[in-house]
Amino acid sequence: MRAETLKGHLDGLLLASLETGPRHGYAIMEALRSGSGGQFDLPTGTVYPALRRLERAGLIEGTWSQEGGRQRRVYELTPAGRRTLTAERGTWREFSAAVTALLEPAPRPVTP
Amino acid sequence: MTGDPAVEGYLSDVAASMPGPRRARSDIVAELRSGLFDAIEARRSAGLTAQAATEAAITEFGDPRQVARAFRPHLAMIQARRTAFALAVTGPLIGLLWAVAAFASHITLRHAPPWQWPGAPPLSPAAVPAVGAALLIVITSTLATIAATGKLTRWLPASPRTAAVTAATAGFGAAAADLALLALLASQLTRAPGSLDPLPVAAATAASVTRLALARRAARRCLAIRATLT
Repeated sequence: MRAETLKGHLDGLLLASLETGPRHGYAIMEALRSGSGGQFDLPTGTVYPALRRLERAGLIEGTWSQEGGRQRRVYELTPAGRRTLTAERGTWREFSAAVTALLEPAPRPVTP
Repeated sequence: MTGDPAVEGYLSDVAASMPGPRRARSDIVAELRSGLFDAIEARRSAGLTAQAATEAAITEFGDPRQVARAFRPHLAMIQARRTAFALAVTGPLIGLLWAVAAFASHITLRHAPPWQWPGAPPLSPAAVPAVGAALLIVITSTLATIAATGKLTRWLPASPRTAAVTAATAGFGAAAADLALLALLASQLTRAPGSLDPLPVAAATAASVTRLALARRAARRCLAIRATLT
């Protein structure tokens, strides 16, 4: 799936990938890839700059730490990030329910 | 695995297309290096040879110029924010140094516009309002830049282009304020050099000359990085 299709949902997906705990950039890319059954194979040039943007907005916090014998930049949700994720999730539920209602064929009315 | 020539070659291609503050750039390159090693490890554990794994990882990361381009908006924001913070810190300091220099040089405060104060430099009627106007521009655009590049972007999305322009405006405004202050000093030197207290005046002059050069350079860098945004 192309990155443009995801536009508008990328931030929510990135935040969601950090909900269970801190992760580094490549692990986030892997989580999006495997979590979507291979659908969201997002390029480096999309994921890493987006992480920097979310960090600047104070939604996640990145710190260099020694992990697995190497320096890695690990990202963690901030309290504001957690709140934003909850809000995004609510918006998405409403949106997807509305789209589903409109796109899916309605069950035929039962004629007596 | 550190120092893998293929990985380092790729990273230096990325770095070559990335403008902006050095520390921000090297932090990004370090993060990409660590990501590439993760990608290589993932492929090696899937059974690839070291060389094949490295090649596959580099292919996965994509065209170095495109990766660099994707970071430019972020780097523009960092450049703008740095400029704004530097001005916010140096501004009050320079104001204080000039205030001390003016008091030490026996310019007396009166309930009147500053250019009518006894002992005020002859150029005051023109230069004092110029300093005031420049300060107003600097303060507004510095605050706008700080707002546009930080946590407020959560509610107030600002484009990196705008942030680069407001930061450049603040930088050029600060340079203009310094220039006007130095013109005031020059006019006082021609009229009553004896009234000036050498030490505080020299300190304020040195600070303003330095800030003028740095603010101008920072403003130009902001415009340069803005020009790389497509």
